[in-house]
Amino acid sequence: MTDAAGLAATFAPEIVVLAAALLVFLLDVLGVRRLEAVGGVAVAGSGLAFLLVLADLGFAPLAAIRTIGAGAINVAPAAGASPLYFVSSFGLVFQALFLAAAFFVGLASLSRDPHEPGAPIFYGLLSLATLGMLLVALASDLIFLLLAIEITSLATYLLVGYTRRGLRPLEAAMKFYIIGAVSSTLSFFGASLLFGAYGTTDLFRLAAVAGSVGYPVLALLGYGFLVAGLAFKTTLVPFHAWAVDVYDGAPTDVSAFLAGGSKKVGVFAFFLVFLGPVLFVHPGGPGNPFSGAPFDLGPITQLLLGVLAVLTMTVGNVLALLQKEMKRLLAYSSISQAGYMLLGIAVGSPASLAGATFQVLTHVLSKGGAFLVVAGVAGLGVGPLVDDWRGLGSRRPLTSVAFALMLLSLAGVPLTIGFASKFVLFSAVVDARGYFVWLAVAGLLNSALSVFYYARILKVVFLQDPAPAGAVVGGSEPAELPAGGLGYGRAAAIAIATVAIVALGVYPQFALGPIQAAASHFYALGA
Amino acid sequence: MLPLISIVLATLAAGTALTFLAGARARWVALATSIAFLGEVALMFLDYTGWPGYAGTPLVPGFAEQETHAWIHLSWLQVNYTVGVDGISLVLILLTAILQIATVVYSWGESKRPAGYFGLVLLTCFGSFGVFVALDVLLFFLFWEAVLVPMFFLIGYWGGPRRRYAALKFFVYTHVASIVMLVGLLATVFYSGATSLDFAAVDASARGLPAIDQSFLFLALFFGFGVKFPIVPFHTWLPDAHVEAPTGGSVLLAGLLLKLGGYGLIRWGVEVLPTGFLHDRPVLFAVAFLSIAWGSVVSLAQRDLKRMIAFSSINHMGIVLLAIALDSSLGLLAAVLLMFAHGIVSALLFMSAGSVHHTFGTRDLASLGGITPTAPVLATIVMAGSLASLGLPALIGFPAEFAALLATWQGLQYWVLIPLGILVVTAAFYLWMMQRMLFGPARAVPPSAHDVPWFEGVGMGLLVGLTVLFGILPSLLVNVITSSPVHGFPGP
Repeated sequence: MTDAAGLAATFAPEIVVLAAALLVFLLDVLGVRRLEAVGGVAVAGSGLAFLLVLADLGFAPLAAIRTIGAGAINVAPAAGASPLYFVSSFGLVFQALFLAAAFFVGLASLSRDPHEPGAPIFYGLLSLATLGMLLVALASDLIFLLLAIEITSLATYLLVGYTRRGLRPLEAAMKFYIIGAVSSTLSFFGASLLFGAYGTTDLFRLAAVAGSVGYPVLALLGYGFLVAGLAFKTTLVPFHAWAVDVYDGAPTDVSAFLAGGSKKVGVFAFFLVFLGPVLFVHPGGPGNPFSGAPFDLGPITQLLLGVLAVLTMTVGNVLALLQKEMKRLLAYSSISQAGYMLLGIAVGSPASLAGATFQVLTHVLSKGGAFLVVAGVAGLGVGPLVDDWRGLGSRRPLTSVAFALMLLSLAGVPLTIGFASKFVLFSAVVDARGYFVWLAVAGLLNSALSVFYYARILKVVFLQDPAPAGAVVGGSEPAELPAGGLGYGRAAAIAIATVAIVALGVYPQFALGPIQAAASHFYALGA
Repeated sequence: MLPLISIVLATLAAGTALTFLAGARARWVALATSIAFLGEVALMFLDYTGWPGYAGTPLVPGFAEQETHAWIHLSWLQVNYTVGVDGISLVLILLTAILQIATVVYSWGESKRPAGYFGLVLLTCFGSFGVFVALDVLLFFLFWEAVLVPMFFLIGYWGGPRRRYAALKFFVYTHVASIVMLVGLLATVFYSGATSLDFAAVDASARGLPAIDQSFLFLALFFGFGVKFPIVPFHTWLPDAHVEAPTGGSVLLAGLLLKLGGYGLIRWGVEVLPTGFLHDRPVLFAVAFLSIAWGSVVSLAQRDLKRMIAFSSINHMGIVLLAIALDSSLGLLAAVLLMFAHGIVSALLFMSAGSVHHTFGTRDLASLGGITPTAPVLATIVMAGSLASLGLPALIGFPAEFAALLATWQGLQYWVLIPLGILVVTAAFYLWMMQRMLFGPARAVPPSAHDVPWFEGVGMGLLVGLTVLFGILPSLLVNVITSSPVHGFPGP
């Protein structure tokens, strides 16, 4: 195999997505702006890339289209080589999650108003953002990682404001852009300090150098800036304030992509920076690279991350309790979900890694799906307040049941994927013993707290009667919903997500097997 | 061999789903499901005992009908779909099947959204069956919670005037308790270092825990299961729930849900943490005596027939707790027999209370009197239920209470005077109540009063028949129960 062919095989999913993005823009230039055409290209691109990634993960029925051999996955780069990227099954799992999010959002957006302009821009940017996310999952170098994040960020800034209609999306886009730029700057500055301290930005070599040199002040500052920058992307408290306004102001399908998809980029970067090769936190484990270092940063980092995790879920949940608008409520609950994922990172065992990744899958399906439902229901003319959803259960039973299942999954009710992922995550956290047991208790209490606001939505949707004709409750509700449905694309996306939520809730092993295997491979890389 | 338990679960699940969808014909679907359920339970009994000529040892050592399938496989924890039965659970499963069919028949005339009503009744029985067969912590918990939700809706939608309050109180009490129970079970798993949630694995590793750990864990489990019993002072949800629930709901609540607490305590408490159990016995005794005394004394002061029966349930379940706490094979046998007996008898009493209410428009003991001439069938049934409840020989209450008292005498000697004395007072009260309500001068007989409709009569008649059958032949149950491979019984 020639070098170029080898590269093409390694980057096959990325090439497909990039080709889709370029094709969309090309069609736009050629004047083909039909929704079905550009949307179809983008959705087909993410779908094909998704299948390619599944094949690379070893999904047997797709073995025919496998592009990367099993022997080339989970291999740490040779000492001295700095190839910038490497393929791990853990990264592939995340690529699959990213592509699933992009696929759902793209599919659902096929049901948008066909006369509204901007379809090519939307789908082109969606594909570009996805491309950046895919690259993040391949990174083995700090600069490569941050540049890939930057690709995603630039595309998503534009996605938030692309409609150029109304002040809210514009304000959200501006806010997102400024905060995003600041956080990127922080991350890059941190990386440059690390380079100054250790003379490399290769994630594998950083660990080795830190093991022998220890932690000069320069390096500690570098880590601090890096973490702050990533915390913005992941919406961790106290770096979360921007997220609600942005999710709220963005077109709702874009919110679905931000919450279900691009936010997970930050989560993956956290995995890579803390659990991957750089600063591997083995709680007393054998392969601890810091055994010879002046002091062990692992336990302190773990404690800090744990506190940050509990803070994030608590603040997110408490503020969600106070919200009256549906999108803001979901945005705050999205912040709290980031706390659960961070919990898995703080514990830093292969088990908790798998738990946190499974939680990401839950979030892609449930929160992404919930935003898609919100977008569809808003398209029917229902106002932005939770109270505007009164009695939707009797008027749109199928949509309401799907929405209910998504919320129940987020709340962690049994026989949904949310229960399975929380069970896996919390049992893994408890399994780490020590003070982590209390972190798990804090997580459980938070789950209990979150049930209140999900239950409130369900009560409004199913138990309250629709507002009487002509009455305006809070927002602006028409007496009758228009006869139209959600549209085939959106209905299909919601249906697929709902079926997956229930199917993986009843039999989680289907997703859990690959996730666990990938997590332990990833763990072994750092050891 | 057929996976009988999975077949039953599938039958009940399919029956429940069809009932919800069946609209006006829901009761027929429910009845068919109940008959199928009863037939399958009979098959399970045959499989277990090889009837006829059951000699007292099950055909299969350990848990019969056991099925294990990997469900969630984690590198640090194995969760299985493991189900199985022993004598104790078989007897309670029989109770579930009997109460399901009796409730469906009794409620034949339900006109308020019958599909929902019968569906929820079936769902409650489905969950209870699951609790009795589950041999995995997670599976057990799922079924345990699956019982709460339908009961919440049964009380909250079909109940009396204060139904919302009662339903919410029921849900909050029992849900908090079940969370404590789950935390207790999971803590047991993690502290003992078990790597599987399977009953056998948890059982084996938890026995190695130090006594003090076991003691704390057992207390958590005791609280979790005890609220379902219910134990004084966590009993206050019960009278409210019973009074407000529709008759079918009361029947399942008293007949089945309380038994879940007793079963859980035996299977997951006493069996898994024997040292903790022995350590905590003083607490159990104290709570048991308190419940026995409190339940009966408060029951004497009630004017509402349903409330009275509800408090007498607390009294009876107190005796169950006492019998379990005795830690003897006779005590354990008495506890299971009592649960079965109380399941049948309290169901009968609640049904008759419901019928009294339908017929005479009130359940107020002070304004009821001399109902026999108007409703002879109902009066006979009330009498049968009351006599069984006070422990008349040849009815099912007698062998159970006799065994409990005998076991108490063996274990605690003169302490037996407390339950015995209270039993005498209760019996006197029942006799007074019957004399006044059934035979006294006729009072509060509305002109529309009539005897019970046929379906209520059939539902209650079925239970009366079983009361007599098992009263005369308790050995039908005793041999099955004592063959269980449980701590305290000789086992196979």
